[in-house]
Amino acid sequence: MLHINNLKVSVNEKTILNGIDLHVNPGEVHAIMGPNGSGKSTLANVLAGREDYEIEGGSIFFDGKDLLEMEVDERAHAGIFLAFQYPVEIPGVSNATFLKSIVNAVRKANDQPELNAPQLLKLLREKIDLLGMDQKLLQRSLNEGFSGGEKKRNEMLQMALLEPRLGILDETDSGLDIDALRIVADAVNQLRSPERSFIVVTHYQRLLNYIVPDVVHVLYNGRIVKSGDKSLALLLEEKGYDWVKEEANAIAQ
Amino acid sequence: MSSIVVEAKHTEIKEHFGLLFQAFEQSLNGQSAQPLHLIRQSALKRFSEELDFPTRRDEAWKYTSVNRLLQGRYELGNAADISAAAIQPFVPPFAEKHLLVFVNGIYQEQLSQIGSLENGVVVASLKNALQHPDNQEKISPYLQEMAHSANIFKVLNAAFLEQGSFVYVPKHTRLDRPVVVLHISTNATAAAFINHSNFLLMDIGSEATVVEGFFSLYDGDRADFTNINTVAALQRNARLTHCRLQYENEQAFIVQNNSAQQGGDSVLTSIQVDLGASLVRNNLSAHLLQSNTETHLYGIYFGKGTQHIDNHTFIDHAPAHCQSNELYKGILADSARGVFNGQVMVRKDAQKTNAFQQNSTLLASEKAIMDAKPQLEIFADDVRCSHGATIGQLDEQAVFYLRTRGLGEEQARSLLQHAFLFEVLEKMEDDVIRNWIEGFINQKFEA
Repeated sequence: MLHINNLKVSVNEKTILNGIDLHVNPGEVHAIMGPNGSGKSTLANVLAGREDYEIEGGSIFFDGKDLLEMEVDERAHAGIFLAFQYPVEIPGVSNATFLKSIVNAVRKANDQPELNAPQLLKLLREKIDLLGMDQKLLQRSLNEGFSGGEKKRNEMLQMALLEPRLGILDETDSGLDIDALRIVADAVNQLRSPERSFIVVTHYQRLLNYIVPDVVHVLYNGRIVKSGDKSLALLLEEKGYDWVKEEANAIAQ
Repeated sequence: MSSIVVEAKHTEIKEHFGLLFQAFEQSLNGQSAQPLHLIRQSALKRFSEELDFPTRRDEAWKYTSVNRLLQGRYELGNAADISAAAIQPFVPPFAEKHLLVFVNGIYQEQLSQIGSLENGVVVASLKNALQHPDNQEKISPYLQEMAHSANIFKVLNAAFLEQGSFVYVPKHTRLDRPVVVLHISTNATAAAFINHSNFLLMDIGSEATVVEGFFSLYDGDRADFTNINTVAALQRNARLTHCRLQYENEQAFIVQNNSAQQGGDSVLTSIQVDLGASLVRNNLSAHLLQSNTETHLYGIYFGKGTQHIDNHTFIDHAPAHCQSNELYKGILADSARGVFNGQVMVRKDAQKTNAFQQNSTLLASEKAIMDAKPQLEIFADDVRCSHGATIGQLDEQAVFYLRTRGLGEEQARSLLQHAFLFEVLEKMEDDVIRNWIEGFINQKFEA
């Protein structure tokens, strides 16, 4: 589904990703872990199409299409969804209106008939119930004045509405208490299916207790230095990142 | 050398207005014997002999030149025969009771309607209202003030005083429906000089909402000059909401002077929306006369092409315990220019003043220009005053966020621009009026 080959990315002439290879098959959950500054968030943002980065080399193919040639919204139409680490607050845009408009924007782009107002409302209610969200969040401006947990929950709601092929969670767990964490994890688990894949970017192993990954990768200095199954995450939790860094540095020398 | 040329030009336009005044006097038939007319004549004299049109050397006109306006050779507006159907798109849904319609500046009785009024309430065209000595007496002090003003446009307005609207709400009376004043300009052979004077007189404890709309029904190159003067006098505990939406032909010149006087405990809410015209200059002032008043000034401006929209506001906090709250937001695209000058004066005795001011402008093009100048002058020591002025582009983070959800770039930007202006609309309590305004803002987005 997703094939990243030797991806090199820089920002302001500083190399952030230095040859990433990552292959995600349908239905798989990949966790990307690593110390701060290792390039985890950059990878997530490059996949979504953020324009602040310079692609120095390599390729990304998503369902056979060259992702790097696609606009941000085209990627969303193709089924890529990025749950933001810091969702943007947009005063003056009603959350309900926004949620309805993105559903139809994606449907329209995929030549599906747009939903009418009652259908949209029904869909919205259904997904809100699924996530155990408070209806009141719909009446407010998009993310404005939302708590950290509410923002992340609203991200999950958007993901549930858009039903992407690939959900990318960029440190969705940071700053959340256990209850909020469970809600995020439940949302992902509800959406897991043989066709849908996830990339879960996280600094902590904690989230992976709830979203059990198929593969765990450790990113360090812009490269994937180690991959393994879920036990790798537990090992990192126990021993920290130092041993991975040492190993990687030794190999580099 | 150049200043001499400018003055010579002003002489010519003043002479032109002198000729227009003669024609205007003739049209008054017999009414020119009234005391009111003596004020008009003295105003014209002051206009011709004692005052000059502002130039960019005047601090208050530094960013706005009226040169183009002064080059016009206007004729007095002539009422054109237009049907009720033609004005229908501009008639707001809340105009079902009181609607005053002006075509090319002239009151149209047959298109207007004035619903039943409680005892003592007057809602009328100014010309009709001034048939009654009582009403003449009511406006007399304000008219004297206009005629003696240092502001040449106010004095000009006093000289040509005839067309306009007159609202008087007596003690402890509430107008249950808004008064709608609709201005339509239509095709005409020559550019028109449209002089409009509003008197909104609110007695103790009265309440009213007045909504003005200015629209054009032609696309041509004609540049009318509309000179508006509004007097809003709020006695103690009165509440007035004054809303003005302007979406005129993009050639039009508009100067508006709007001065409010507020008695104790009164509440003034002003909403100014400028979407059209080539040159707009609004001077709004609120003079707080007694304590515990509230003044809310809200403004929206949206310029495209080479539109120039200048908002000057002045709030004079003289007594203690008054609140003022000002929010002006605008979008400037293409080569449009905007000016905001918000003066707040807090005089020595105006303790416990609470004054808030914010002006924010989105520049949607590299060629658009905004000049913003908050001007707080505080002479009291126990006050809370804040001001902010921001000029910037859309938040690219927000654009990216919306695009990751599948919205196209244009759609994302437009949504954010809407939201930017919506912050002002949100302040309006009446959703029917808000929706009406929003509809025209949406038209402007699509224009």
